[in-house]
Amino acid sequence: MSDQQGISWLNDTEAILRFIKRLIKELPELKDMVMDLNEGDLLFSQGEPLEYMYLILEGNITLTRLQPDKTEEKLITLGSGSFAGLISFTTGEPTLTSGKITQKGQALKMRPQQFEQYLNDHPRLKHPLQQLMLNNMIQRYKSNLRLQTRTHQLSKDLSKERNDLKKAYARLEETHQMLVHQEKMATLGELVSGFAHEVNNPASALMRAAENLIEIYSKFESNHYSYKLFKLGLNSQPVDSNTQRERMLMIEKRYPWIHERSSVRKLAHMADEALDLIDDNRKKGEMETLINHYEAGKMIHNIRIASNRIANLVKSLKSYSRQDQNKEAYEDIRHGIQDTILVLSNRLKFIDLELKLDEVPKTCANIGDLNQVWTNIIVNACDAMKDQGSLKISTEADGSNIIVRISDSGPGIPENILPKIFEPNFTTKNQGAEFGLGLGLAISSEIIGQAGGDIDVVNRTEGGAEFSVSIPIRDDC
Amino acid sequence: MDHKIYILIVEDEIEVMDALVKDLEDFETVFPIETANDANEAEEVIHYILDHGHKVGLILCDHVLPGKNGVDLLIELQKNEDTVRSKKVLVTGQAGHEDTILAINKADLDHYIAKPWTEKELIDVVRGQLTDYVIDNEKNMLAFMQVLDAEKISEAMRKHKMTDH
Repeated sequence: MSDQQGISWLNDTEAILRFIKRLIKELPELKDMVMDLNEGDLLFSQGEPLEYMYLILEGNITLTRLQPDKTEEKLITLGSGSFAGLISFTTGEPTLTSGKITQKGQALKMRPQQFEQYLNDHPRLKHPLQQLMLNNMIQRYKSNLRLQTRTHQLSKDLSKERNDLKKAYARLEETHQMLVHQEKMATLGELVSGFAHEVNNPASALMRAAENLIEIYSKFESNHYSYKLFKLGLNSQPVDSNTQRERMLMIEKRYPWIHERSSVRKLAHMADEALDLIDDNRKKGEMETLINHYEAGKMIHNIRIASNRIANLVKSLKSYSRQDQNKEAYEDIRHGIQDTILVLSNRLKFIDLELKLDEVPKTCANIGDLNQVWTNIIVNACDAMKDQGSLKISTEADGSNIIVRISDSGPGIPENILPKIFEPNFTTKNQGAEFGLGLGLAISSEIIGQAGGDIDVVNRTEGGAEFSVSIPIRDDC
Repeated sequence: MDHKIYILIVEDEIEVMDALVKDLEDFETVFPIETANDANEAEEVIHYILDHGHKVGLILCDHVLPGKNGVDLLIELQKNEDTVRSKKVLVTGQAGHEDTILAINKADLDHYIAKPWTEKELIDVVRGQLTDYVIDNEKNMLAFMQVLDAEKISEAMRKHKMTDH
């Protein structure tokens, strides 16, 4: 950093210098103090106590300072009229810099200890020297200010760069997490559809076995009272435990001789038609056998119900997970919503679900991706409602868009976090929860964005949050 | 024996309830079974049993229930003076789930049974739990012996006699 023009400041300096040079010629003791500056010579080294102070008459001295990383930093080049060793002279401490002669010339070499003496001995010299020193100090101060401003600017630039870097890193991290999540979902999809396929076999076997049992039973006992009882059991209606208790009291009155509580319970499950049938045929068979015919029917009924549920779950799982992901297809998005609801039936078990899936045109969409969006919104709603409340899902078309609205009866979303909920890593849930990654809504927003649609959320005036997703209607796939 | 010891089954799915009751029907000769479809009903049934001077020996509770879930119900019953001694077994489709661990720790759960269960497993657990309940709470153990772990009960009776004298 050259400060040449800064050092050869005002005409004043030159005038003073000319005056001093004239004095040197006149005063022999000053003349003795003049020394030659030979280019390349080291005048003083950093860290050493300074013996002399130099006033440069001609030539240049460059001050350098050793940096912490052992490199030499060129600080300033002093020209004629400048003092070298001024600070060390004023403070009496070892010099902060090294001084090297970079252009030959002459300097006035003064012992600091004798300086005061010179000034007193030569009053004519006193004023110009003092003026020169003051000018030097002002110059140094100015240069210091410039340096400070520069440093400040640099550190500002640096911290801006650091912030940019941080932001870039955060974005990278988000993208990374999203990719990992998407990869996980894809793997999960494959697993689920493989699993669904595997479960289908035992489920079908179960269903077939139940139907075969029914057939076998009908051949054995067709038109017999025992088959009729079996049939009644097969078509029996579920009885809740309150009704069950009431009916058990009734049975105890109707058949006071039955003490076996398990028999009372089984009879209590039967509809009156079955009880009448038992009364009509009681003499023909043991009570226990009669009950067992009904029980057999009821158990096969239960197998039917249970295996049907498995089959339906498997069907919706397969359809929900869509192995052919990443493909757009011309479809009715309501099918995806229905699959999602079935897959989430466990979470929605105690939620009052209101579906208003109005007719909407088919569109080009990736149903598997959209299912992920419905899932995220619905699961969030269930969490917010603590699995109790009402959930309303509706679809409508407004000409160019399909709009899906999902609203819950939860506490709504605090206004201060409302603008942030589609940001990655924003979560209100603590770690550990299944969907607590804070990526659900960010990914949903990403998916809807890719589909060319919009996702938004508002708090309803009547309470709860309402998400609305709009998807453009297209037929170009 | 002036009072009865009840088995209470809490389960909201009728088919699953049917299966549990069916598997445990052999106990009914001594331990009457009561059923409830949710936590509120379970509490009502428990009151009813206690109000009539009977006891609840074992509560077999489903995990996911409408309203208050099974784990919360068991935790509450564990805090209640009247049911703290009742044996508590969680029947869960979510073995290893956080909630199950919570139940084991907080409700002082005596056992949990993972769905799907086998008849033998269920009967063994119920027999073991009822045996422990009877040994800890009943003076006249003989009356319950026929459906319980006879060996354990007779050993407990011997010890009981020794401490009596």
